[in-house]
Amino acid sequence: MSVLARSIGNAFRNKVRTGAVVAVLAVAIGLALSMLVANQAVAAKVAELNASVGTVLTVNPAGGQGFEGGGEPLTAEQAATAATVPNVTSVVGTKALRLRNATETAAQAAAQSAAGTQAGGTQGTGPGGGQGGPGGQNTTTLTTSLTAAVDAGTLGGRNQAAEGTTGSTGATQPVRSLPITATGIGAEVDSTGKALSITEGSGLGDYSAESTNALLGTTLAEKNGLKVGSTFTINDKTYTVAGLFDAGTTFGNNALYVTLPSAQTLAALPGELSTMIVTVDTLENVDSTKTAVQAALGTDKADVTQGQNLETAVSSLDSVKNISFIAFVAALGTAGLIILLIMVMLVRERRREIGVLKAIGAPNRTIGLQFVLEALVLVALGSVVGAAVASFASGGIASALISSNTSTTTAATTGRGMPGGAAGFPGGGAGFPGGGAGFPGGQNGPFGGASQLLTTVTASASPGVIAAGIAAVFGVAIIGALVPALLTARIRPIEVLRGE
Amino acid sequence: MIQVKNLVRTFKSGDRTIKPVNDVSFELEQGTLASIVGKSGSGKSTLLSLLGALDKPTSGDVVVNGVSLASMPDGKLTEYRRRDIGFVFQQFNLIPNLSAVDNVMLPMEFAGVRKSVRLARAKELLEQVQLDPEKHVRRINRLSGGEQQRVAIARALANEPKLILADEPTGNLDEQTGEHIIELLSSLSRDHNTTILVVTHDRQLANKTDRRFRLQQGRLTEEPARARVAAAATA
Repeated sequence: MSVLARSIGNAFRNKVRTGAVVAVLAVAIGLALSMLVANQAVAAKVAELNASVGTVLTVNPAGGQGFEGGGEPLTAEQAATAATVPNVTSVVGTKALRLRNATETAAQAAAQSAAGTQAGGTQGTGPGGGQGGPGGQNTTTLTTSLTAAVDAGTLGGRNQAAEGTTGSTGATQPVRSLPITATGIGAEVDSTGKALSITEGSGLGDYSAESTNALLGTTLAEKNGLKVGSTFTINDKTYTVAGLFDAGTTFGNNALYVTLPSAQTLAALPGELSTMIVTVDTLENVDSTKTAVQAALGTDKADVTQGQNLETAVSSLDSVKNISFIAFVAALGTAGLIILLIMVMLVRERRREIGVLKAIGAPNRTIGLQFVLEALVLVALGSVVGAAVASFASGGIASALISSNTSTTTAATTGRGMPGGAAGFPGGGAGFPGGGAGFPGGQNGPFGGASQLLTTVTASASPGVIAAGIAAVFGVAIIGALVPALLTARIRPIEVLRGE
Repeated sequence: MIQVKNLVRTFKSGDRTIKPVNDVSFELEQGTLASIVGKSGSGKSTLLSLLGALDKPTSGDVVVNGVSLASMPDGKLTEYRRRDIGFVFQQFNLIPNLSAVDNVMLPMEFAGVRKSVRLARAKELLEQVQLDPEKHVRRINRLSGGEQQRVAIARALANEPKLILADEPTGNLDEQTGEHIIELLSSLSRDHNTTILVVTHDRQLANKTDRRFRLQQGRLTEEPARARVAAAATA
């Protein structure tokens, strides 16, 4: 009988006690594994967030926010200045355009003329022109052959009515569709800095050159019966659909992207930017880089902002990660302590047997190894049951941890995001009162779902994580079992045999 | 050859000092079958523990084949017990959750003997001590006292030791099995040149040994062997 076989036999000497020990170990190991699974799931989510938009700063013209406010537009020179700030890895400029269906615009212009009124634009570009509003300078409205994929609906109607009180009088406003967001981009990212999810076709190639290619949102393409290779017009200029993207939201998919120079040419505003997307090398450097970029551009020229909601979400997830790690270590330590105490008890109980083994020539290392292996047999049994417990409980434990640690954050962030289909552009209003950064979803759009980010953490007990956890449990168990094993070396055979 | 030189072992018991082994000296040639008799508590088992390197003397020394046990480190003493000594304990001291054959195989496992070899030898030894073959795989705690004693004797013989120290080896055996064990020990001494030192109350066993010692209040005296007394009388 080998040492291992003897250890296995010893582990089952007292079946009731073995069962009790395994049950206690299973609870500790199951808890440890559950915490590790939760920790890994949250860590993966944090890494994912950091890798996507967690390190992105957004630069808007000072005083401009959505379609409110004013200020001077951003320029290519400012983008170059921002790129020189330490820790900045890239600066991507964007130029936002608003497109209206050419036929509908002509009909509205006719209606406006008939009514003898003009909406509040100082430049008289007609309803929805938006260039003449207070402080407006940044969002250019153009005509297109495309029809928006989002209906104005109640919200669009309200906005329209609201605009009507200041911009229109008398005549009943015709029912209109929402404008289409066209954004010129300097890289294959959306207006929040996230990589575009191209579902069909390809990207635009060189984003720093003019091109007649465009990327269309899936719903916009579907609404207009377009596919890759189809053509459409913006201000009578023909564009080809190079690819389709999925932004994940109804509003986001009612949009199209062209290269930045193309958008600047369409707007007849070369070198002008609506916004800049500044990517920082690490999350740790975001705060300092934000301050540095703000200082480099000047507080009177630009507003540098960060996705605060996301930052809060990441911070909450970080705290969950820390708590779960501490709980993992504590549960691991508990398992080790249980093993230590059990093995100390077994060594004391078997002092006589140890003395006999030594009397017949067993080396200390053989006896120590026998006790360590016996401990590992108990841990192996506990790990099997514990892994089963963890596979069922880890999801619930992770959810409980996340919900208890982020309820405040979630409450604080809920409601900041605008509803789909109405975010950013108020929709359908004649005579917008201002320009500013006309991003789809504005600043809050992509970050408005912070609460959702927290609840989308999926804690599944993957074999790799469970194996890593069990390896850690075995490591701790070996340490726990070594102490009593070393105690056996101090037992002198005559001390236990003298009783004879 | 075993040389015991002025061996002393003392214990403290409160203010008193007890000397179960008090200035004991003797020599045993290899292959000798010797016995020690004495009253309970006279120090017989303590002397056996000193000879088997289970305990360390307060003073004096045991020299085995020219090597002093007093100067041996613990690791070497373990090796000495494993390789050169076979113990038969008064209370058997077998491992209760192991079978008879596993108990006999243990010393061979510690000595690094291959499994197939140690299994064959363990069965052979159990047959020599007349343990029923069907009981070879039975757990120790399911064997009678006499059967356990035979397993203990088989275990002591496992590594073919040069010295067997046996504490009451026939104490729990019936007369017939006791006779057989005495014959087995005699043949080991005679045919395999094994030195055997037996602590016993059994007059029959003591009378069959080559040399007989009496331990009284820690002091060892040698008694003339009955065979030698008889031989001297006839001469």
